[in-house]
Amino acid sequence: MARDVCADVLLGLAVAVVFGASLGVLLMRDAYQKLHFVTPAALFAPVLVALAVLVQMGLYENTGETCLALLFMVIAGPYLSHATMRAIRVREKGDWRPGKEPER
Amino acid sequence: MVLGFTAAAIAMLVCLIPAGLVVARGDLADAVVAYEFITAVVVMVLALLAQAFQRSSLFELPVLLALLMFGGGLVFVRAVERWL
Repeated sequence: MARDVCADVLLGLAVAVVFGASLGVLLMRDAYQKLHFVTPAALFAPVLVALAVLVQMGLYENTGETCLALLFMVIAGPYLSHATMRAIRVREKGDWRPGKEPER
Repeated sequence: MVLGFTAAAIAMLVCLIPAGLVVARGDLADAVVAYEFITAVVVMVLALLAQAFQRSSLFELPVLLALLMFGGGLVFVRAVERWL
């Protein structure tokens, strides 16, 4: 019973994080601002989901596989965000480094 | 079936609607960001559904998608930077 309640609370928090992040992606002005709201969905929500799975199911093979998938997300998220921001800046300015933009 | 995991998966799928609107109506940079958001959420949805239905064949899907999200996302972002 306590496990169920704890897992449900963690899942509710994860859904709340994703909901807030989705509103941020919809409402923010440009891609740089929107990208800040991808991070909660790609970092915090997977951790909460993994904790909920661990609390509900305990340690066994399928739980490990789920946690592995969520771990990949947590590792890949920041790299992907960095690469995206860099690509958008290169598209806009011609170079990602400040002061190195080609003259137009 | 575990009801909490199913409900969370459905709620997260509903949260994809705003990002879908951004993909459909925003410019290319906004759409790329929304695509990354959608991919991250879909990995969690697959993990939640696998937990909910407890079929061992379903547990590989989120692992594969998480790996492909990273590789595919980097390739896509590089294409946006250079060619699109």
